[in-house]
Amino acid sequence: MKKFTQEMVVSYADKLLIGLKEDEVEMVLSEFEAIDKEIDLINEIPNIESVEPMTHCLDDFEYVLREDIVEESVDIDELLQNCDSKLDREVKVPKVVE
Amino acid sequence: MEYMSKTIEEIHEALKNGEVTVKELIEESLKKSHELQDKCNAFVTIMDEAKEVEVTDNLLSGIPYGVKDNYSTKGILTTGSSNTLKDYVPFFNATAIENLDKAGAVKVNKTVMDEFGMGGTGTTGHTGIVLNPWDTTRICAGSSSGSAAAVAAGVYPYALGTDTGDSIRKPAAYCGIVGYKPTYGMISRYGVFPFASSLDHCGVLARTVKDAAIVVDNMKGIDKNDMTSWDSSNINLYESIENNPKGKKLCYVKELCDISNYPNADSELKAHLENFHKTIEKCKELGMEVEEVSVDRTLLNASYSVYVVIHSAEASSNMSNLTGIIFGPRGEGKNYIDMMKDHRTNGFSPLIKRRFVIGSYVLQKENKERYFNNAQRARRLLVDTWKKLFETYDAVISPVGIGPAKKLEDLNKVYDTNTIALDEQLQIGNFGGFPSITIPNGFVNELPVGINITGNCYDDVNVLSIAYSLESNMEYKNQIAKEVYRG
Repeated sequence: MKKFTQEMVVSYADKLLIGLKEDEVEMVLSEFEAIDKEIDLINEIPNIESVEPMTHCLDDFEYVLREDIVEESVDIDELLQNCDSKLDREVKVPKVVE
Repeated sequence: MEYMSKTIEEIHEALKNGEVTVKELIEESLKKSHELQDKCNAFVTIMDEAKEVEVTDNLLSGIPYGVKDNYSTKGILTTGSSNTLKDYVPFFNATAIENLDKAGAVKVNKTVMDEFGMGGTGTTGHTGIVLNPWDTTRICAGSSSGSAAAVAAGVYPYALGTDTGDSIRKPAAYCGIVGYKPTYGMISRYGVFPFASSLDHCGVLARTVKDAAIVVDNMKGIDKNDMTSWDSSNINLYESIENNPKGKKLCYVKELCDISNYPNADSELKAHLENFHKTIEKCKELGMEVEEVSVDRTLLNASYSVYVVIHSAEASSNMSNLTGIIFGPRGEGKNYIDMMKDHRTNGFSPLIKRRFVIGSYVLQKENKERYFNNAQRARRLLVDTWKKLFETYDAVISPVGIGPAKKLEDLNKVYDTNTIALDEQLQIGNFGGFPSITIPNGFVNELPVGINITGNCYDDVNVLSIAYSLESNMEYKNQIAKEVYRG
């Protein structure tokens, strides 16, 4: 198992489109170190690998599909109230292609 | 005459017999909102323009309430207490809000929370720290911090919260009120900002168990927009809860509740556990059977890390849509990648950013088995342990936290690692989706402390009835914060 390093933290943050300050990187590493120790303990639980991972609270849950009925959608003018910059009924955006 | 410090039933009766009008209730609640804002910073938005509604037979009609700022409210600023959504005004209501609108409930403010619910201190919201109305040198806990402060200060009888780890139930304890999260999926999460979807619950902060039941009755219901919601139309909590404690079987976990686990315990933890055991004696006096049980300490100790791994992973995925492109203020940059990075770097608080990185790391293909899958396995073992207890007992009873509200200056204090499992154990209620309620059970250093009662899924009536029986036989029902700041 590769250790979680400073370079890895910066690289993962970058992939998440997040910039971290140096002290924030240190905090990630120290927080993670504590988690890593606990995970070591979990790994020591006999036959842990045979336990089915629990992904949801309710084991007896049944998904019910709703009827496929067309419903009225949200009014465009109402949506545009939340928009800083618009031209008629369209959203105005800055040029983002170099 | 003040009405906002009364119970929902009392206020409803006063409205019905013409003793007070909806307009007067709104005015009282808004006045108190502004007073509390100056003292504790509990609100993101105060709705001075809140409108009167007709009083009907619904107990909530015409009564003011508060909304945690992660519930979408149509036409009303909804920020999640984050700079990334500081100007966001939703174009639709969360289903729970829609249901309360139909009941005639009157929302008067949006309450401050830890950013997107990720945090337990009430100190990470973009509008600043929420202070505890009992003692403004202390925190309210979080993430439903503003809701807890406002209900405790008597701004209104109830406010909405959400609970992913203990975000309703711990602030309730720190503020001396009731905090209830029902079984997972009883209340639709549609329109509530997702944090960790497999753990997120909606719920309420109130000052009495009955009030909490009334509110959840009006929030709940199956929702076509939330496929994890379920049909609870056959459940009426308010009408079903009863003060009939005889024969109820409770247990508490020795590894959490015995003082001998904490050789370095401070005076507040000692007093908190002594007070807990007094409540256990009270349960016995009322005719309940209470037994001590033992649970594997390794599992208990791992619980907090399990929580961090799972919620960080789910949050890093859920919040990937916060780019400043479709919501929130647009970032600066010469291309869209730089714009998104600018928005996310400057918008999120340091805590959130750290958790995202951890979440991303544990989900990587090479790490997933060791971290994420094993956390989910330990989650199942913990849930199975609690389910096994529910085969014998109606509920697990426990102290909330490791004492009263922590001092702001102590937030960075390193606590004895032995106490982490106790401080964080309510997360097991989220792992299993269990109905779970905190009620006040006394004072330590003149500050309120609470106990928690957690039962099996769908057994909400039983859990509330136990809480109601205890509340009816203690002296802390419907208490309002009295500041005890001693300088």
